[in-house]
Amino acid sequence: MRRMLVTYMTLGYPNLESFYKFIEKSVELGTDILEIGLPPKYAKYDGPVIRKSYKAVTSWLKDYVTPLKEVRKKVNIPIIILTYLEDYLSNLDNFLTILHELGIDGVLFPDLLIDFVDEYEEYVSKIKGKGVKAVLFTGPSLPDNLIIKASKISDIFLYYGVRPTTGVIIPVSVDSLITRVRNLVQNKLVVGFGLNDFNDLRKALSAGADGIAIGTAFIEEIEKYGIQSALQLVKTIRGILDEYS
Amino acid sequence: MVNKDLIPKYWYNIIPDLPKPLPPPRDPPDAEFSRVELLKKILPKEVLRQQFTIERFIKIPEEVRDRYAIIGRPTPLMRAKRLEEYLDTPAKIYFKYEGATPTGSHKINTAIPQAYFAAEEGISHVVTETGAGQWGTAVALAASMYDLSSTIFMVRVSYEQKPMRKTIMELYGGKVYASPTDLTEFGRKILKENPNHPGSLGIAMSEAIEFALDHNYRYLVGSVLDVVLLHQSVIGMETIAQLDELGEEPDILIGCVGGGSNFGGFTYPFIGAKKGKKYIAVGAAEIPKFSSGKYEYDYPDTAGLLPLVKMITLGKDYVPPPIYAGGLRYHGVAPTLSLLIKEKIIEWREYKEEEIYEAAKIFMKTQGIVPAPESAHAIKAVIDEALKAKTEKERRVIVFNLSGHGLLDLGNYESIRRRVEK
Repeated sequence: MRRMLVTYMTLGYPNLESFYKFIEKSVELGTDILEIGLPPKYAKYDGPVIRKSYKAVTSWLKDYVTPLKEVRKKVNIPIIILTYLEDYLSNLDNFLTILHELGIDGVLFPDLLIDFVDEYEEYVSKIKGKGVKAVLFTGPSLPDNLIIKASKISDIFLYYGVRPTTGVIIPVSVDSLITRVRNLVQNKLVVGFGLNDFNDLRKALSAGADGIAIGTAFIEEIEKYGIQSALQLVKTIRGILDEYS
Repeated sequence: MVNKDLIPKYWYNIIPDLPKPLPPPRDPPDAEFSRVELLKKILPKEVLRQQFTIERFIKIPEEVRDRYAIIGRPTPLMRAKRLEEYLDTPAKIYFKYEGATPTGSHKINTAIPQAYFAAEEGISHVVTETGAGQWGTAVALAASMYDLSSTIFMVRVSYEQKPMRKTIMELYGGKVYASPTDLTEFGRKILKENPNHPGSLGIAMSEAIEFALDHNYRYLVGSVLDVVLLHQSVIGMETIAQLDELGEEPDILIGCVGGGSNFGGFTYPFIGAKKGKKYIAVGAAEIPKFSSGKYEYDYPDTAGLLPLVKMITLGKDYVPPPIYAGGLRYHGVAPTLSLLIKEKIIEWREYKEEEIYEAAKIFMKTQGIVPAPESAHAIKAVIDEALKAKTEKERRVIVFNLSGHGLLDLGNYESIRRRVEK
């Protein structure tokens, strides 16, 4: 079975031209699902690298509709939007309608099961009711029964973040975390949030992850060495995933 | 002779057994640097791993169990027979006596593993802050056990009021400074605004972190963070075994709360094992965290160097009144404990100084132990529950954690006597 590569990129980073190029080429190189970050007002659970990328684009990117329309035209794999529910509480219906009209497949709110845990099922129904898929984000601090319940209603896959914040490599036992969650979940399991060395990645795959989500590593690579180098990294990671397919 | 077999082999972590997700620590909006990333620079690696672990049981290293034996673990579980008689209650009252350690309180339970993990990593020097002095004393001793140097920032008002605490820390080899100091940028800033600042735990904590960062030392954390409650679970694990030996099933478990470490360490293994019907956390009415605090993201330290954690808090800038129970003068409550209180799994009480004093006097008179003023809060709740059992004619088993003795708090008792017994 092919292991999924979920490639994350902040909308418009580092500039529109390079962003489109990265997205398109990464699909050619084996990305299965695109995860696109819409900069929130407060990136509560993101690490310094992703936060910097948000900051970099918000100075000039005022409209998310046009670039998303463009991305939809350029690729034909599932696109998931990652952003924070907190920002859309007052106009969620409108936001979901726009995503649906743009042909975006799903939405992932990392704060849904943390800050809105008492009403998460209502929000999931609302998202699905608007024709958008709801990808649920879980992590080690969620009780087992909540992970089980969430995994059953999560569309496309269940996202499992191994660390409390993106890109900050707090020492955790990646393999035991994933073994635990693998036993609870029938759904496809994609692991991310703090996986950015090959060792972690292999551990995640050996422990039964159906896919991995990578973001910080690509942004860091673009920041330091440019798009070409980030694409090379996509290729390398695809290779590792294929070893386990 | 201590039987080491009675010392637990595992610490208990409540995170997998919480009813709801524990909100993760976060960075503030528009952070100039990541506080979550900063944790990597200040905490020993293994301490950090344990802070974020979701394993239910974590093996206690043999080297740590050896040191636990040296400080007299397992600590005694005692029956407060004369207190029962005095109250004429059908309730049975037991207490776990953490004051029976060399440093006189439960704080040593986490100082030892943290110092051990730092030493294992090749760190030579550890830093911390202390309010009333119990935590600082524990760090100074634990550091000396593993041949580490230690620096302790002690809240100025306590430093001046409790010179004997400073002496113990120095005897154990610690270097003690009255905070705010001119050793850190944050301390200098505070002193510039007010050269006579009495200090606070939040300020001392901020200084300790800055000092550790500047010198590439490691910071040992005394309360609030989940990893501290994890290490303190040795108290509850032992108590469960000791009650089992006596054939007792506890009904009510009680402890006082400053940041939550002795309370969490004592009660969490019971909550995890579904033992006990009622858990009561006791705070000071003068620092009304439970009744007036908000459940929201806040900084554990005044300078805002640590990541934001979701907890019941009076706000990081809250300046507590100088009540006699220094260990309770903290603005927040450990995140797991806050969540369990919010979910109504744990009840709370708040008592005033005069009520606490009366309870402490009854305990001294009946049991002979001078309780730490912090622990006297738990005693007040125990007395109330025992009297309730009397009214309701129920033979309940009440167990509480006497988290420390008050032999170094006699000055505080003296001052409260002057205030209350006018």
